[in-house]
Amino acid sequence: MASPGFRPCGDFKSDYASDTRIFDTAASRWFCLAGVLLLCLLPIISETSGIELKYELSLLIQIGYLGIAALGLNILVGFTGQISIGHAAFFGFGAFASPFLNNKFGIPVFFSIPLAGLMATAVGMLFGIPAARLKGLYLAIATLAAQFILQDFFGRADWFSGGTHGAPAAPFTIFGFAFDTDATFFYVVLAYVVALYLAAANLMRTRDGRALVAVRDHYLSAEMMGINLTKYRTMSFGISSFYAGIGGALYGHYLGFVSVEGFTILFSIQFLGMIIIGGLGSIMGSLMGTAFMVLLPEVMDALTGLLAGTSIDRALGLKENLSYLREVAIGVTIILFLVFEPDGLAHRWRQVKAYWKLYPFSY
Amino acid sequence: MRMKPMVLTAAAAALIAAPAAAQQKINVGHLADYSGATSDVGKPFGEGVADAMAWINKNGGVAKRQVNLDTVDYGYQVPRSIATYKKWTGRDKVVAIFGWGTADTEALITFVSKDQIPYISGSYAGSLTDPTGQAEKSTAAAPFNFFYGPSYSDAARALVTWAADDWKKKGGQGKPKYVHMGANHPYPNAPKAAAEDLAKELGFDVLPAIQFALTPGDYTAQCLTLKQSGANYAYLGNTAGSNVSVLKACKNAGVDVQFMGNVWGMDENAAKAAGNAADGVVIPVRTRTLWTDEAPGMKTVREIGGADNYRPLHYIAGICTAFYIKEAMEWANANGGITALKIRDGMYAKKDWVPKGMEGVCVPSTWTKTDHRPTTEVQLYRARVTAATDAPLNDLIKSGAVKMEKVTVVNLPRKPEWLGW
Repeated sequence: MASPGFRPCGDFKSDYASDTRIFDTAASRWFCLAGVLLLCLLPIISETSGIELKYELSLLIQIGYLGIAALGLNILVGFTGQISIGHAAFFGFGAFASPFLNNKFGIPVFFSIPLAGLMATAVGMLFGIPAARLKGLYLAIATLAAQFILQDFFGRADWFSGGTHGAPAAPFTIFGFAFDTDATFFYVVLAYVVALYLAAANLMRTRDGRALVAVRDHYLSAEMMGINLTKYRTMSFGISSFYAGIGGALYGHYLGFVSVEGFTILFSIQFLGMIIIGGLGSIMGSLMGTAFMVLLPEVMDALTGLLAGTSIDRALGLKENLSYLREVAIGVTIILFLVFEPDGLAHRWRQVKAYWKLYPFSY
Repeated sequence: MRMKPMVLTAAAAALIAAPAAAQQKINVGHLADYSGATSDVGKPFGEGVADAMAWINKNGGVAKRQVNLDTVDYGYQVPRSIATYKKWTGRDKVVAIFGWGTADTEALITFVSKDQIPYISGSYAGSLTDPTGQAEKSTAAAPFNFFYGPSYSDAARALVTWAADDWKKKGGQGKPKYVHMGANHPYPNAPKAAAEDLAKELGFDVLPAIQFALTPGDYTAQCLTLKQSGANYAYLGNTAGSNVSVLKACKNAGVDVQFMGNVWGMDENAAKAAGNAADGVVIPVRTRTLWTDEAPGMKTVREIGGADNYRPLHYIAGICTAFYIKEAMEWANANGGITALKIRDGMYAKKDWVPKGMEGVCVPSTWTKTDHRPTTEVQLYRARVTAATDAPLNDLIKSGAVKMEKVTVVNLPRKPEWLGW
């Protein structure tokens, strides 16, 4: 092998282990580690230097818990090819389940979050059963039913979700230390993100992970090879719901209060938007797409804010319509993305890397 | 291309000027829904708050300091309200926040209590009225949550009280039937239990609730259910948009029932949209006057809103809300400086007060450390639509085609067991 930082021309892999590495080169691995370390330093900088990073941290926290749930959806839609438009309901289930376990049974939040993930898995499997027999549009409608059934359940099940009053969620604590500020809770979310993203990357390197991809690529061939379609489709729903449940539980304990209103079909569509923009069937893309969807409204808000009161604003008489301009801009950006970047951000990132590698040649 | 240097210059000028001005300015956040699911009523209310603050700035500001009101349209999306809240508390160091919906207000209760920032919502859920969390039926303590006006629960109790009287006056035979209508959501459901509880107490026969979504749609089925149930009084818990759909569908289905709405359930714009279907709907109003009424404070209100265009009742409620905070800020300034905590104390400083310049408009209100129900006085109005409503609202009001007429004022007892739900 040549230097550790660059891949030499050609493909010299001679065993499966090197072919399924998570990080292609040592450099990319160190970069990733350095990134995580740098993120770990952020709250410390925020607390000690007097530079207020509360807003930035809260955006990162949002990217974190939504990114976990988006990754779950990507395993289902991007890797297994099973469409789902009820993901927000499972996210909501996790958000209610964790405080429920904590409030009703006194299970510490540290344990109630993974348990909420498991509860969401069970519910996901339940709704995944029809998925074993359904495809395409029929499946989409079945998952839509899950969305509405669960949403209604949240509104009615006073014993579980506090009904329409919502449920208070205690902060995440370890040995009496409460992670109840942005600077501390950030570490909880970061730990979950790292662990669950690694788990998903590893899952895709296993026999089961490859089976999921086979189901997506051609279910008939997969079945001929001896892959149990029912098992893997249902399993995919379970895994996806687990991720959604964990993301939801983190969301609940971050807010301290969970209300039934937040888990609508629109939110489910937003999750789909995240993975489509990030890249279907890409682990890193899930996080990229989430970051894009979380930051876009904020950036657009800042940009339209800059326009306020300028000559452009006056000339067009925007005034109150600035906010609509932002909504339109968000929509337009997403459409442009789908037109010019159908393979998502992850694909573009690979192309950028390839460009540097191959320069001055185009391929 | 000539635009670019201009914009850059303007931006640079703003950047240079910003630090100098920022020392003087009071940063206040304002979450509004101008584009989301509740924008039909969010817009007039939000504009009321923003216009009032602009007028205050023009007239000397608060204690000679300008208010830097950052209005953010969050489209009724909870995640966006959280990000905005973090920006305000992290970077801008706001001393008070005007909020909007039930879902986002509830999502932020924990944060505002921890950060100790007075949060004045457009949500009047009964659960926000207990600052201590000690009340019998309260779910959580909300020590930094305020709002102006009767709570949803108290407004619904007032409607039920009026309905019981109305039934007697009409000479109704037997038990009157009461039904709650609305989506299965925190906002329409907030006053459900309170109103049904009192209805039972006052001798109503309470029927099972009828559900309809928060969005406009075809609600003929619900109206037929309502007709079959034989209800005499129906409470509409949703916002104006979907209520208009129900009123129209029920008109077509020939339902004979007295409709009553939540505070956000009806206004002049909704009456125009619903046409004669809105005729007769009774709603609670948070101010003692509407745009065409006369009172000393209406001079200020008309200066704020511009005298020549009619402004709906939510706009005036928005102005009142802003003026209470202004006065609390002035108290804070006189008692140690304009900080978030002092503004909170400023809300407790007086009893039964009306902000200066708002005499006769806002209902005298009192907030105490143990009770955040500002008022238990509820004005009830009836929407009157007597002609076609396809002209602009200004003309409809002038011609009298759309009118809000005062029915009565209900003064509820301030029962401790009614606190917090």
